[in-house]
Amino acid sequence: MKKKLIHVGESFTGCMRQYTGGNIFVKLSAILMGIANIRYGQIVKGIGYLCLQIAFITYMVSTGAASLVNLDTLGTHKQEMILNEETKIFDVIQGDNSMRMLLSGVVAMFVIAFFVLVWISSIKSGIQVFHLSRDNKKIPRITDDIVSLFDSNIHRMMLFIPLAGLLVFTVVPLIYMILMAFTNYDVNHQPPGNLFEWIGLNNFKLLLMSKDILAKTFWPVLGWTIVWAFFATFTNYVGGMLLAILINNKGIRFKKVWRTIFVLTIAIPSFVGLLVLRTMLNKAGSINILLQNMGFITKALPFLTNATWARVSVIIVNMWIGIPFTMLITTGILTNIPADLYESAKIDGASAFKTFLRITFPYMFYVTTPYLIHNFISNVNNFNPIYFLTNGGPETLDYFKGAGKTDLLVTWLYKLTSDSKDYSYAAAIGIIIFIISASLSLIIYTRSGAYKDEEGFQ
Amino acid sequence: MNKFSGIKTKYLKIVPFIGLIPILLLFLNYISINSSNEHFTGFDIVSALLKAMSEDGISLTNSFALAIIIIIPVIILLSSCIALLKPRKYIIYFMIGMYALELIGIVISLLSMKGYIDSSKFLEVKFLIKYLAVGFWGAFVIQLIGIIIAMKSVKVSPGYIILFVMSVIWLFPILNIVLNSFRGEGGFYIGYFWPKSFTFDNYVKVLTDTSRYYYVKWYLNTLMVATCSCIITSFLVLSTSFILSRIRFGGRRPLMNLLLVLGMFPGFMSMIAVYYILKGLGLSQSLISLIMVYSAGAALGYYICKGFFDTIPKALDEAASIDGATKWQVFTKIIMPLSKPIIIFTILTSFMGPWADYIFASIILGDKSQSYTIAIGLYNMLSRDTIEEWYTCFAAGAVLVSLPIAFLFLRLQKYYVEGLSGSVKG
Repeated sequence: MKKKLIHVGESFTGCMRQYTGGNIFVKLSAILMGIANIRYGQIVKGIGYLCLQIAFITYMVSTGAASLVNLDTLGTHKQEMILNEETKIFDVIQGDNSMRMLLSGVVAMFVIAFFVLVWISSIKSGIQVFHLSRDNKKIPRITDDIVSLFDSNIHRMMLFIPLAGLLVFTVVPLIYMILMAFTNYDVNHQPPGNLFEWIGLNNFKLLLMSKDILAKTFWPVLGWTIVWAFFATFTNYVGGMLLAILINNKGIRFKKVWRTIFVLTIAIPSFVGLLVLRTMLNKAGSINILLQNMGFITKALPFLTNATWARVSVIIVNMWIGIPFTMLITTGILTNIPADLYESAKIDGASAFKTFLRITFPYMFYVTTPYLIHNFISNVNNFNPIYFLTNGGPETLDYFKGAGKTDLLVTWLYKLTSDSKDYSYAAAIGIIIFIISASLSLIIYTRSGAYKDEEGFQ
Repeated sequence: MNKFSGIKTKYLKIVPFIGLIPILLLFLNYISINSSNEHFTGFDIVSALLKAMSEDGISLTNSFALAIIIIIPVIILLSSCIALLKPRKYIIYFMIGMYALELIGIVISLLSMKGYIDSSKFLEVKFLIKYLAVGFWGAFVIQLIGIIIAMKSVKVSPGYIILFVMSVIWLFPILNIVLNSFRGEGGFYIGYFWPKSFTFDNYVKVLTDTSRYYYVKWYLNTLMVATCSCIITSFLVLSTSFILSRIRFGGRRPLMNLLLVLGMFPGFMSMIAVYYILKGLGLSQSLISLIMVYSAGAALGYYICKGFFDTIPKALDEAASIDGATKWQVFTKIIMPLSKPIIIFTILTSFMGPWADYIFASIILGDKSQSYTIAIGLYNMLSRDTIEEWYTCFAAGAVLVSLPIAFLFLRLQKYYVEGLSGSVKG
């Protein structure tokens, strides 16, 4: 870390030296972007820089500066109703819209950050072109620049669209939502009628360590999320591995047919499978009907309406979906286990069970640990099974409005945003989920060989 | 080793004794109702069946029950004795077949027993499975053991039994929805499993009736959105992965870490903000915006694909560079042709994602039902006030939406597995 900082510092002072060593145009280009480029013949590039600067200044003057100022207060004027004396009707006087202010503030921050990058690159480009002309070298023209986008600068061209998309549809919204976690944007503070404001860490305090119903919902939901993630991961892993071993067994013929049967559940869209299973587990669904017709039960079983039943049901249904996945994945690894291990085990007279316990399982476990942790994380965020099967239900009065006994943190987050509009709590929960996933991921990436030894194959 | 190849006589010696047990178990209670103190042994049931046959004539259910209880067990016993005396593979296969028949018969009889016993007035009270007693379950378990040992004696893996049972469980929901899609009589709360009549009307209705739902429109919407975002996403994923795998530029490592961190936030945490951004751009509730949202996150999915590119030797790039190829040419002329499996994997997953997505589509499209995708539409068909009328149509719609994707997936399964296991190697 220290080394890196020193490196950054060195390159900065190097840049500074080059900058101060430049002529008047280079120096001027810090204020009037692109002037050095224009002076030395890179007309198009220079004008481009200049246009960007003009656009930026226009933006800042017109809205940008105001957005930044508003970010501090998130609005001061509440929407009001004033009686119009002439018409005797209440007129709505538009107040400040905190939500829009927050969003435009975030956008303004990104625009400024982007502009700073452009500014630095313009100065660098100015210095570069100055040096080239001083040394009487050929100055690249705009066509050369475009050609270089397909070769030495290909990363700029090919990463531009993906990163731009990511910025607009992931990064900006995420920053916006993260900031929201520190406001009181809940159902009582809905723009445009009301304002919301910064409240610091209060949402986290409320969720994590208060006597409020929010905390009384949060902890059980978190507990169930972890229980669910554990069982969903464990059952799928063990089940899928055993199935893969079973199908891979030498004595089993028509392997492809068996595999295809199980793969069918992956092949049909998961929402179809889940909706079908929901109707089947319904009080009047096929499973209850079959059990009743067969005389196993006299009354319908509350598969999805009783808390305990529902929790077990979602885990079992998740096996129906997840086991084929694990089966597919582990099949490939099974065939990679060195055959000589099995041969020597056979010579030593080990039983099939012992071979599994001492060779197959340790090998698989070692290879698939990252996958296992990854799977755990994705189960923490596993929205579909819960949403489609129970929608978090059965609901209970012990929980915050709308939350139910099978709700995971993510489904609760979804309910908070889409049903009750308590965005600030939802955002806080999102951050907590992120902390859980990130700390688990850290374990994977520090362990993972591919990450450390990226160029092992090359 | 014995002289009959492929037969283990060790197991064969036990088989007749196991075959004998179910017949002995006939002396025990098959049905016992403790509350009214009624008990019936296996022989009671056999004699009742014989009596019923002599009075009412031979019916299918009668002979089926008789076969399950006594005829097949006797055949099994006889064939196992013959197998012991004359160990021939075909005799043992015949025995295994009989066992399988018996076991399947027992399961079928479990399914239908209640109806049969209730209608035959054999019992005073309505029959429940819990009345089945030690004799019945004992015979069931012993026959299970019998088939396993018989299979072992000819070195057929008993794993077939587990696979068979699991397949039935896995296929059951699929069978259920297919049956419902062809069911002639409508309604959801019908109280029986097997449809009474079959028809194509549900398919016709879901495709033509636009009074409430616009299935065909939704289908085309979904196809359009999935195809477009598949093309865009695939291109973006492949190019991002190529750059991150092949080009060394300043800030590459930080960028990769940033992408990993971004991927750890729950995806739809930001969807409300996305919604407002789209609204600001004037694009909300349109399919274009849906395509943009699906494709925009493409760079986050670089991991698997990059892992694949990393395994292609770098010497190839260098050789091409020496020959004067640009980086772009390396990408299109060298890396792409070598990456067919991962390209197909990327295309497949980026097509299946939007095809089956519900959350983003429902948030972005809101209440504009004309531009819904299939997932939202089908979900709405199951709402409480429409499920009774539309359930069979839902089933037909679900089958129609699953068919192309299932076909595609099964065809390209190989590539999918390769891609997935690439992600595990870690």
